[in-house]
Amino acid sequence: MKRLTLTAAVALALPAFAQAAEITVVREVDSNNYDPHRAVARAAAEVLFMLGDTLVSLNPDMQTIEPGVAKSWEVSEDGLTYTFNLRDDVYFCDGKQMTAEDVAYSITRWVDPETKSPVAWRAGDVESVTAVDEFTVEYKLSEPFSELLYQLTQSFGTIIDSANVEALGEDFGVSGFNGSGPFCWVEWTPRDKMIIERHEAYTWGAPFHTNTGPASMERITWQVVPEENTRTVAVLTGQSEITQYVPDIALAQLRAAPTVEVVRSDLAFWTYFMGFKIDKDTVSDPAVRQAINLAVDQTAMAEDLFFGEVEPAYSYVSQGALDWNTALDDTLLTYDPEEANRILDEAGWERGSDGVRSKDGVRLEPIAYVFAGSTWGKISESVQAYLREIGVAMDIQAFDATVAWGRLATQEFDMFGMSFPYVSSGDALNLYFRSENMPTPNRMNWNDAQTDELLQAGKTALDDATRAESYGAVLEIVHDAAVWLPLYHEPMVVAQSADLETVVPHNIYGAGLYKGLDLKFKE
Amino acid sequence: MMTLVLNRLIISIPVLFGVLLLGFGLLILVPGDPAIVMAGPMATPEVVAAIRTEMGLDEPVMTQFFRYLGRMAEGDLGRSLISNKTVISELGAAIGPTTELMVACLIWSIPLGIALGTLAAVWRGSITDRAIMAFSVAGVSLPIFFICLMLIHFVGVQWRLLPFIGRGGPLWTIEGLRHIALPALSLGLIFIGPVARMTRSSVLEVLRLDHVRTARAKGLSETRVILRHGLRNALIPVVTLVGLQAGYLLGGAVVTESIFSYPGIGRLAVGAILSSDFPLAQGAILILALAFILINLIVDVLYALLDPRVQTS
Repeated sequence: MKRLTLTAAVALALPAFAQAAEITVVREVDSNNYDPHRAVARAAAEVLFMLGDTLVSLNPDMQTIEPGVAKSWEVSEDGLTYTFNLRDDVYFCDGKQMTAEDVAYSITRWVDPETKSPVAWRAGDVESVTAVDEFTVEYKLSEPFSELLYQLTQSFGTIIDSANVEALGEDFGVSGFNGSGPFCWVEWTPRDKMIIERHEAYTWGAPFHTNTGPASMERITWQVVPEENTRTVAVLTGQSEITQYVPDIALAQLRAAPTVEVVRSDLAFWTYFMGFKIDKDTVSDPAVRQAINLAVDQTAMAEDLFFGEVEPAYSYVSQGALDWNTALDDTLLTYDPEEANRILDEAGWERGSDGVRSKDGVRLEPIAYVFAGSTWGKISESVQAYLREIGVAMDIQAFDATVAWGRLATQEFDMFGMSFPYVSSGDALNLYFRSENMPTPNRMNWNDAQTDELLQAGKTALDDATRAESYGAVLEIVHDAAVWLPLYHEPMVVAQSADLETVVPHNIYGAGLYKGLDLKFKE
Repeated sequence: MMTLVLNRLIISIPVLFGVLLLGFGLLILVPGDPAIVMAGPMATPEVVAAIRTEMGLDEPVMTQFFRYLGRMAEGDLGRSLISNKTVISELGAAIGPTTELMVACLIWSIPLGIALGTLAAVWRGSITDRAIMAFSVAGVSLPIFFICLMLIHFVGVQWRLLPFIGRGGPLWTIEGLRHIALPALSLGLIFIGPVARMTRSSVLEVLRLDHVRTARAKGLSETRVILRHGLRNALIPVVTLVGLQAGYLLGGAVVTESIFSYPGIGRLAVGAILSSDFPLAQGAILILALAFILINLIVDVLYALLDPRVQTS
């Protein structure tokens, strides 16, 4: 009997041991592939950070650049030449040593028009990237790019193995990936799961990690679970140890559960907004855009729709982001429906018998394109209700994500809903407000010579002060013109098993677990 | 028998052609541009245009259709727009799990349904009969997603007996069995009802027939009469029903697989359609149609085996 009990106890305990270094992460969607230069989804970044390394890495404070596979770097006086000194102890998963050749190959492939990378601009105006010697890389730009180091920390800058890319061809990042990250590719079944395993030789983690390698997790399974309630109960019942994809409505319940810990970071730069196509009949009037900004109560929306789990936004980028212009703090447009009505009256938009305003025969009925799904459904309906109060009849048209991007590239709408990740003010502004980026991602058709000039000045600035000043000025211009209706900044919330050491959420590109080096079971 | 099978196969050809046509129509009719899907969210219009030319999307519809048929005839189903894996390999990976799910579902629900139906017929009018029929009606009327969610709620979350996410491994491993239990249970529950009801009425009918009376008159035991003379004949309509329901089951599998994140054909089809991954959606639809044709063929063969009259005619 005693032996039987003992056997049973061992049998029961065994799975617990077997699980000790394995975790399942549940998430909402999968990426289309895991080629760092072709995949722009957050889902790709999440896994690529674990599979590969970048030249430099970003501290969880989202401001400080720290070493990656480059242990040090120098920037020339004119800001055109970056010299990276690589570590000589970095190896790919297959055992091959990483050299300057690999770095040069990776960046060159990134910017090569043949690759058709939608994010090539993030590498700056590259003239050439060459291997000076085995462990020195010379990164030459044709124009300075003050954000270069920040951009190089993103998953797009992942160093890949040329032999691997050539061997796999079309299947690179689909059937395999030879990276130098803390984890190695095991198996990917699209839309189901991605399995990665510990890279035993890994010792080159960035200095801000508690553990610089090898990782303490032996295996991580990224399991796609599209249903948000299922993800929530998966964390509650221990079928998943950690996830950043839980609905706001479930957070209170998760916090109350003894087996789950919820960590939150406000340094997450992910902002939801609605933009105006400023050359359309209705919203071309600055008074209308301003009134719409004043009519919407973001604080109440954050409270009612998102259970207070998000931060209401009045600014276009988070006020904690690098180069935010603090002078604007007091001038942001906050909820004031009376003022909104006054502005519209003054501008000559008169209410008709049905309460909708019109001017010179143009009715104030902007068409808004948003993504189908519960999030934008909630947001846009709420905005619609607020706008109704001031006599604006916003018409909502929702599209499935795969279709929406195509529709958003047209000129058929007056307003659009969007959310985006960024590392700094400059990152966001260069993406959305450059005139050359019309019609996408500059869907506002914001065509302003002064903005372009300032953005160029900021992009090519050689010192932090000039850069901050230029971007600050752009922020002022676009805020004054009210080209967006900011809605909320989404913080990074990670729900994790209480058996895990508390993680520090990292917000780069919204990939909360970043390298996964510090994922560890409590001892 | 061979003629029967051959006849059925010949009839399947126009059906398959129809499916191919529909699958292609999907590509033309639904909103969403495959080139944009492939290019990804941030792509510039030039990149999209280049991909469009590369994919042959700027050619006339008829040209595209014949090219598509040609590719199908060669067995080339194309590559997924999303993952760039070949459609064949994605389908191949999903067929196994779905077959497992079907087997795991049918292996317990059909015998149980038949047994329950027979019991209900034998004890017609009793409490047992009423209980079984009430259960069957519930099984027929409750939507599959509701059953899935209830099972997740009680078995998965409240009592924490079984996992409800994904596939644990092949069917013959402990983990595989644990993971498949809830999906197979949900799917089977909607199957028992119709099978039990059909068996009951069919057995009742058969028990009234002359040959059963003769069997009884010969002095055979009641059990033997029911099993040998009643049930064998009663099973003919049940087999037909099971065949028809199997198609319904495939539909249920789409829901079940989605809810339990089970990596089968159903979930693949839903994912492919939602993400406008046309080649994969077409492939999944084709496979589902083939499965339907195959199931019907098996039903016809079983029918012939059970009822010799079908063979001669």
